[in-house]
Amino acid sequence: AVPVSAAAAPPEGAMSNGVYVPSAANGDVKPVVSSTPLVDFLLQLEDYTPTIPDAVTGYYLNRAGFEASDPRIIRLISLAAQKFISDIANDALQHCKMKGTTSGSSRGKSKDKKYTLTMEDLAPALAEYGINVKKPHYFT
Amino acid sequence: RSGSKHGTTPADNYYLARRRTLQVVVSSLLTEAGFESAEKAAVETLTEMLQSYISEIGRSAKSYCEHTARTQPTLSDIVVTLVEMGFNVELLPAYAKRSQRMVITAPPVTNQPVTPKALTAGQNKPHPSHIPSHFPEFPDPHTYIKTPTYREPVSDYQVLREKAASQRRDVERALTRFMAKTGETQSLFKDDVSTFPLIAARPFTVPYLTALLPSELEMQQMEETDSSEQEEQTDTENLPLHMGTDDSGPEKENSSVLQQNSSLAGSRNGEENVIDNPYLRPVKKPKIRRKK
Repeated sequence: AVPVSAAAAPPEGAMSNGVYVPSAANGDVKPVVSSTPLVDFLLQLEDYTPTIPDAVTGYYLNRAGFEASDPRIIRLISLAAQKFISDIANDALQHCKMKGTTSGSSRGKSKDKKYTLTMEDLAPALAEYGINVKKPHYFT
Repeated sequence: RSGSKHGTTPADNYYLARRRTLQVVVSSLLTEAGFESAEKAAVETLTEMLQSYISEIGRSAKSYCEHTARTQPTLSDIVVTLVEMGFNVELLPAYAKRSQRMVITAPPVTNQPVTPKALTAGQNKPHPSHIPSHFPEFPDPHTYIKTPTYREPVSDYQVLREKAASQRRDVERALTRFMAKTGETQSLFKDDVSTFPLIAARPFTVPYLTALLPSELEMQQMEETDSSEQEEQTDTENLPLHMGTDDSGPEKENSSVLQQNSSLAGSRNGEENVIDNPYLRPVKKPKIRRKK
């Protein structure tokens, strides 16, 4: 079902965004979404300012050799980095909450809203991402 | 990078300002997640992770872009980078819509670190047209241009002649004074001995001897020509004869001079020591080979 010659214009097959998607024959081959998923999202980024300023992200990208032609690209990267950190923070919060409520301290009201991020919560959260941090308990 | 040094350069300040901004960002994200406070070590850890995450995205996106023979990274490069780093790109729009709350308006330090122009002297040579402008400048001209610091010697003829004449006069004077101080002197004035010392003349017993005796150089030349004449056996007979007469003549005189020298010196028995002042030693004439 797949056309033999690649040079031939695809007679059949879905075209989306100018990318050729081979047609599914008998359900064997599922068409893979091959359009860039964030193209639309990038257009929305023009009026959205992520938490990290563009200059700071741009500075670190420049140090790595990345010269951004489009400022939206920088915002995308800063957004991705933000999400990375907030995912870890949420995982650490889960750990913190689990440690708090397993003892069954106060049933009526939920645990006090004061959560403190400690290394003991952060370490297992990071371990799930494959990052192992071991800080010494004391500083000599 | 981040200094444990006490002094911070403008580059360090530039770097530290951005790092502080990242710390503020991390703190705001933690607050958004629901934490009230956090350990310093934890914040530092997350800041470091954030910085290295951004750097890694930049580096990896650049690598992907260059892998396809491009120089400008595009959206696809970043998507591939994020996928490679284990980031679920489909969740990104949802995240953006959810957290539209905290915006940090913390601008970093705006002055870029300028490399101080230390000891610049003169104008640098501008780039020729075939060199792009983003290349570094040429070095200061003093690094490749040498200016001699001495004055040019005077080449005026009159000055040079005068200088040569005065030098010659000084040398002669110094030499004669030296000889007067180390040898015998006669004085013109009866009372004052040291003002104008004259080198004492040593009267030779045979005054015409120096006129007859050839100088050392001539005698060496004669010896060399003698040896060459002996080996070659030239046909001209005048030269050997001439030399023969010359040799026999000064030979006799030489022996007499030697006797006189020994009588004058006194304690010389063919030994070559005792006289410590080399300037007072009598002249040693080279031995003359006995001609055939």
